[in-house]
Amino acid sequence: MQQMGKYLVKRLLHGIVSIICVVIIVMILVYSLLDREIIFAGDPNYSKMQSNARVSYMYSRYESFGYVDYVPYSEFINEKLSTGELTDELRADAVRLGKTAGDDNETAKSFTNQFTELYKSRGYEIIRLDADVKSNGQVKDGGQAAIFAYRDRPLISRLVSYFTDMFYIDNIHYVPDTVDIGKRGLTFTLFDPVYNTGTSSRKFAPAIIGNGTMHKYLLYFDNNFPFIHQNFLTLHLGESYTVNRGIDVFQTMTDSQGSYVLHNMTFPTGLNEDSADDLHTATYAQGSRDINKVYAERFLDDYTNVSTTKFGMSRLGYSFVIGIISTILAYILGLPIGLLMARYKEGILDKIGTVYIMFIIAVPSLAYIFLFKAIGGSAFHLPTVFNIDSTDKLMYILPIISLALPSVANLMKWMRRYMIDQMNSDYVKFARSGGLSETEIFAKHIWKNAAIPITHGIPGSVIFAMTGAIITERVYSVPGAGGLLTVAINRYDNGVIVGVTLFYAVLSVISIILGDVLMSMVDPRISFSEKAR
Amino acid sequence: MDNELNLKYNMTDEELFAPVDHNDLESEKITAPRYSYWRSVFRVFFRKKINIIILLLLVFIIVFAYVYPAIIHYDPDVNPYVNLLDSSSKHLGPSAAMNYFGKNIHWILGTGASGESTFDSIWYGSKISISLAFICAAINMTVGVLVGAVWGFSKRVDMFMTEVYNIVGNVPSILLISVLAMLFSPTFWTMVFALTVIGWLGIAYFIRTQVVIIRDREYNLASRCLGTSTIKIAMKNILPFMTSVIVTMLATELPSYISTEVFLAYIGMGMSDMSLGRLIYAAEGAMVTPGWEMEFWSPVAIASVIAVVLYVVGQNLGDASDPRTHM
Repeated sequence: MQQMGKYLVKRLLHGIVSIICVVIIVMILVYSLLDREIIFAGDPNYSKMQSNARVSYMYSRYESFGYVDYVPYSEFINEKLSTGELTDELRADAVRLGKTAGDDNETAKSFTNQFTELYKSRGYEIIRLDADVKSNGQVKDGGQAAIFAYRDRPLISRLVSYFTDMFYIDNIHYVPDTVDIGKRGLTFTLFDPVYNTGTSSRKFAPAIIGNGTMHKYLLYFDNNFPFIHQNFLTLHLGESYTVNRGIDVFQTMTDSQGSYVLHNMTFPTGLNEDSADDLHTATYAQGSRDINKVYAERFLDDYTNVSTTKFGMSRLGYSFVIGIISTILAYILGLPIGLLMARYKEGILDKIGTVYIMFIIAVPSLAYIFLFKAIGGSAFHLPTVFNIDSTDKLMYILPIISLALPSVANLMKWMRRYMIDQMNSDYVKFARSGGLSETEIFAKHIWKNAAIPITHGIPGSVIFAMTGAIITERVYSVPGAGGLLTVAINRYDNGVIVGVTLFYAVLSVISIILGDVLMSMVDPRISFSEKAR
Repeated sequence: MDNELNLKYNMTDEELFAPVDHNDLESEKITAPRYSYWRSVFRVFFRKKINIIILLLLVFIIVFAYVYPAIIHYDPDVNPYVNLLDSSSKHLGPSAAMNYFGKNIHWILGTGASGESTFDSIWYGSKISISLAFICAAINMTVGVLVGAVWGFSKRVDMFMTEVYNIVGNVPSILLISVLAMLFSPTFWTMVFALTVIGWLGIAYFIRTQVVIIRDREYNLASRCLGTSTIKIAMKNILPFMTSVIVTMLATELPSYISTEVFLAYIGMGMSDMSLGRLIYAAEGAMVTPGWEMEFWSPVAIASVIAVVLYVVGQNLGDASDPRTHM
């Protein structure tokens, strides 16, 4: 057992190395190989902008997409203002750049020089755009002089920061130390304030609440699966830009979708209204109450950024429900049919089954999915379009069938093959000569040996039920996780591409290891200890 | 002394038989019926009547897909094959198109979104899809089998290639294909490149596993002990064993490229040529519109037929190329 543990740790480390390699390859593909200007192809803002404004916009977009680090001069000035090195009176002078570098006023000259030196020393490239002037001396629209610094993010630093930012451990220094938010720390309560505002009854619900942390509720209970939730450790797979702006890939996959579910609730200030806000998800947003009256009326602190309760499941949720049912269905149908095909080889079932397998392998998957959609829709009057706000269970049927069909064929094919391979082995001949009936031989001997290689695939098919299927989900408009990668590719959302790829790679590494473990549990002859190998 | 032969030819024993000198060299020779591998393969293949029919169908489809568009000089962008300005010619069903244009083979499947003949466009599309499948299969199988053989034989190569396989296998192929399609323009040859740049890896891995299984069998061990060179073992001992495996694999590979092409086109990452996948993608909306279904189902049907026929021929040829069926 200890040997096995050692072996698994080794496999896991190996897996991590290959995952890092996969991320490197994907980063090279999306950040280095692709032409950056492609992101502006469908951007109406870009085509509207002119001259220098367009150049600045271009670099700011490059930063949003993660290609470069970009610092405009205004950001530098704001920083100087906050540290007090620049006074408000001088600010106007400092930002007023001359038409060329020579025309700058004294203040601007000194600050642009500081800016240039600071960012040059950090390895940035400084770009000064002279004013774009019309023939009559007026500055063109968007042609104001500008200065900014940028640097290409090298692969190594991108990679390191990606992996170091992946896990965020919430701590009480998340809120900047300059902000006064009262006593920082974690408090444990037996009576969760979300359930205990405005009412005199005391509802027992343990929770850990933080002040100074990113999340207000670090540990809490609610009535959604898995009932106990934590926010100490959050996962960041990559921030989305075009697909789901500003939201992490992992959150995009796990957040509920659909229309809002309103329920009567009391906000910390005592305000009572119908709302879809989920107060447990509150995160810190500095100064939000000062800017927005809505927050000021509802919250007592700046933990105002809450997500909402929605009717539907998450992308992963939909994909998983459909995927897991079809996987179970595939095993229930595929294994016995494959077994019977081998048992009555060359029989009528074997022939029909072989034709079915051939059909599934050869015919493009798109064709039979559409065929089953057409048959299911017109002959059985099943819903062919998924509606996120409906509770109708019938709409799951066609996607599940479409997904199960190829898996059934695949399992039938392998089960039959493994059974037939086993049928010619010596132990079967021996059992037969010993007088066992064919049914006994099949049920007690062949089946057990043939099922061993099949077990290897079980963890994989369960885990990959989550990731969804591109075509099935598109054809039935299921709001699942399957199309996320293709959508991200079409919209050049590099953060999502890297995040989704990493997610898939982790799942595949885990499922192969679990498959090996399961196989060694089923078959005692298979051992992963070093000595036996 | 009177046996059948004596009576039949009316000759004595002396006349019938001639004494032969004893020859040590001749006595060592083993005689067997003449056996030609490929002749036996085709003998077994053609023994089944159904195979002949399907092979003829395959040949007919391929020849028709190449000859028909060439005869009518079909070009999807050029008049008179599109009727862009004539709005009443678009999306016609077969009978409506026949009435509109007159009875002609072009209109037996109706017209498409730009008034083009569906029949003509599916054959042109078939030509492109079949070409893609054959070119990709040829490249991937050649590279895959060669690399797989080396991979299976050399333990050092095995260590390295298994790592490569584990890593590259986790890079989503859709991503790679779309990046390549964006890097170069999405032409036919870009698609070939995208499908072959890592496509051979799976085949090589499969072949590697087969080689590893056969490599250490007793007869190969014996052969090595007798001093046979590695190349000769690979060529004479292992390759014949693999022929049926390779042919069977080709049977699944060929239709898979047609499927992949259709899939990629459907998710909007296909090539710019009017392949079957592009036709299906373009006509997706027509599937749900009453009266327009032909536009959608015709390319789907022809893609399915081509894929099934290729698969069946390949499978049966694979069965026939297994020497154990030659008895």
